[in-house]
Amino acid sequence: MNLIEVDNVSFAYTEGVPVLKNVTFSLNNGSVAIIGQNGSGKTTLVKLLKALLKPISGDIFINGINTKETTAAKLARTVGLVFQNPNDQIFKNKVLDEVMFGPLNIGQSMEEARENAIKALETVSLVDKKEENPYDLSLSERKLVSIASILSMDTDIVILDEPTIAQDYLGKAKIRSIVHELVQRGKLVITITHDMDFVGECFQRVIVLSEGQLLLDGPAREVFSKEDVLRSANLEPPYVAQLSKTTGYQGVLLSVEEFVAYYRSAMEDWERRS
Amino acid sequence: MKAVVVENLKYRYPSTERLALSGVSFEVEQGEFIGIIGKNLAGKSTLCEALVGLVPHFYKGAYGGRVVVDDVEVLSSSVSELARHIGIVFQNPFTQITAAKLTVYEEVAFGLENLGFQREEMVKRIDYVLKLLGLYAYKDRNPFELSGGQMQRLAIASIIAMKPSIIVLDEPTSQLDPLGSEEVFKAVQSLSKEGITIIMVEQKMEKIAQYADKIILMHEGHLVDFGTPEEVFSRPDLESYGVEPPVFTSIAKKLGIKDNNTGLYPVTLEQMRRLMIGEPHRS
Amino acid sequence: MARALSLYVEADTFVQKLDPMVKLLYILVAILIPFVILPFRWVGAAFIVLSCLALLYARVFARVVPLLGFSFLILISIVIIQGLFMPGNKTPAINILGLTFYKEGLLYALTLCIRVLDVLLAFALLVLTTRPSDLIQSLVKRGLSPRFGYVLSSALQVIPQMMSQVGSIMDAQRSRGLETEGNLWTRLKAFLPLIGPVVMSSLLETRERAMALEVRGFSASGKKTFLYERESSTLDRVLQWTLIVVLILSIAARFVLV
Repeated sequence: MNLIEVDNVSFAYTEGVPVLKNVTFSLNNGSVAIIGQNGSGKTTLVKLLKALLKPISGDIFINGINTKETTAAKLARTVGLVFQNPNDQIFKNKVLDEVMFGPLNIGQSMEEARENAIKALETVSLVDKKEENPYDLSLSERKLVSIASILSMDTDIVILDEPTIAQDYLGKAKIRSIVHELVQRGKLVITITHDMDFVGECFQRVIVLSEGQLLLDGPAREVFSKEDVLRSANLEPPYVAQLSKTTGYQGVLLSVEEFVAYYRSAMEDWERRS
Repeated sequence: MKAVVVENLKYRYPSTERLALSGVSFEVEQGEFIGIIGKNLAGKSTLCEALVGLVPHFYKGAYGGRVVVDDVEVLSSSVSELARHIGIVFQNPFTQITAAKLTVYEEVAFGLENLGFQREEMVKRIDYVLKLLGLYAYKDRNPFELSGGQMQRLAIASIIAMKPSIIVLDEPTSQLDPLGSEEVFKAVQSLSKEGITIIMVEQKMEKIAQYADKIILMHEGHLVDFGTPEEVFSRPDLESYGVEPPVFTSIAKKLGIKDNNTGLYPVTLEQMRRLMIGEPHRS
Repeated sequence: MARALSLYVEADTFVQKLDPMVKLLYILVAILIPFVILPFRWVGAAFIVLSCLALLYARVFARVVPLLGFSFLILISIVIIQGLFMPGNKTPAINILGLTFYKEGLLYALTLCIRVLDVLLAFALLVLTTRPSDLIQSLVKRGLSPRFGYVLSSALQVIPQMMSQVGSIMDAQRSRGLETEGNLWTRLKAFLPLIGPVVMSSLLETRERAMALEVRGFSASGKKTFLYERESSTLDRVLQWTLIVVLILSIAARFVLV
């Protein structure tokens, strides 16, 4: 049984204006990036996965449970969703309390919740700010607090909505390491993002949405090699991929390390031959 | 006359202990395109706020040094008066809409009404900026119905309509999707071509390397470097300032690919490609 | 996006095109004369008829009906309370279900009802046939603080935005396991986690907006100009003076009659 199954799902907010059309895919543990223009249906899809919305046709199964037969709050034990705007979520005046809110809601005891909250804060490197008011922190730190609030619930599925917005290089590096750690622990990490370099660096699989339809679904390398399809969705491959194309490399390179390794070996080959 | 002169600028926000800006000095010529980079809380936004007078007039706090914009002393002027010389566009497209107007056209008029422009002049300016930023077709729409990229272009149009010769943009594309970002960069580029001085804070290093004439590197309130993108991004100690250079530069640094004439690394895809072709050829 | 708050009904009649100040003057006259200067029931009734005619002509009368329906409850309660319990009730008038309604009380209730309807309809005339932005601009031109005018104008769009934001905040908290459906106690418990973010983000947004206003020259010295200027039409002036003349005549009439 797949962790997530999306079966021919369609959705519209107002009649006659479809936002998602016949989308089908399934996910298991690992890392998946859902990319697409604004208005492509990404946010709606994520809300459907979280049972905040129910499909108009088709079904979504989370761990075998049909989302039509449950509520978002009940699914909170399995699916954690970090919203794009931390201000939409934060309401406690101590960071620690905020991060403990989720675990307490899903039935953990005070001690468990506290322990999980502290572990989560360690993962985002904010444990020394646990007694502070979240609104005294910078926007990017608040973003990390909202991520910690979901990590503390230790859900099997973690969805990150635009995690790299307003983050600088260090913040992005932190988020990349969080994604890696979660995948290593066997979780399913889904992200919606515009940041192609972020996707190239840490996501194994990429799903491309355009105008409500699933355009591409496959390993990152494969998806990013299809430049024409991406352009039609108003997207571009990561910069490294663009660079590797100009060198005539067959296929697609996704990170600085990959490119450097490829280039060095290509140079060595050339030198050996001449 | 220089567009911007900053002399030993120091500033501390009220009820805080550390200096947000510690003795920053630099000058900007008219028509230049300056990028500002640095990690979060390096002082980039504070610097932008100081250029338009929000620091110190809006935030109060402790202020020292001198900022002169378009020959106007910021300290002895006011934000509203400075609006005739320098404008600013912020990160959030949403909160830059006044919400007091029901159409895009009237929204752009807001600043002109405040500054007392005559009606014929207003109409001329509004038509001009809407067309320049590709928003003329939307002139009767409600501003809240626009997409993020369109809203930011509207913010830019509203500022440009007031005829400042300098415009500051503080991470204007951070909340936009790729299409929206591209729209904003193109708009800013066309402004630059019109001779407007641009000062832009960005995290998208590949983009700012492409468009900026010069780059300011900020760190903990200090101005660490002010040079061409090639000069600044070629620094070996960038990471200690919490900044990553463009991806191409990172790759070039690891492979030792540099321009032999200048000794500097490439910062754009084009530059990288040309240097790689120059390198011993591989099949 | 959330629609701006407004009761304005678009129609191509002179009422919509009338200067908002004339309509404000009408409200003033419609209150002063029947309440103070010539406090007779038939005077109030005359204004009610006049307002109704104007509302009908402006094709907005349909919108008034729900408003009247709501005020009906208030009017009925006035009739009952005054008819039964007003001190000074002496002369029995009607007997319903064993309760005696007195003539004095009923007449007084009639006066009160006429006054309520008079004010309601005069205000309805203003609100249903005037664009909020036009009204606010008229007031600002005549001296209302532009800051206050801005607060009023922006409230009309910001409030619906805030309300739709509550939806996203609810989604965020439900995702963290907060049950929002269920019995009253569950829903009350859910209230606090929703209010915090609404207030905080409104405050933050207000601050950002305040800065955006400043850099658009909001506090600039010197006279503000207006993109859309209305000139007073002949009709505006005629009606304005008619109202003033009526007011003066009524004051004169009072001295003569009383």
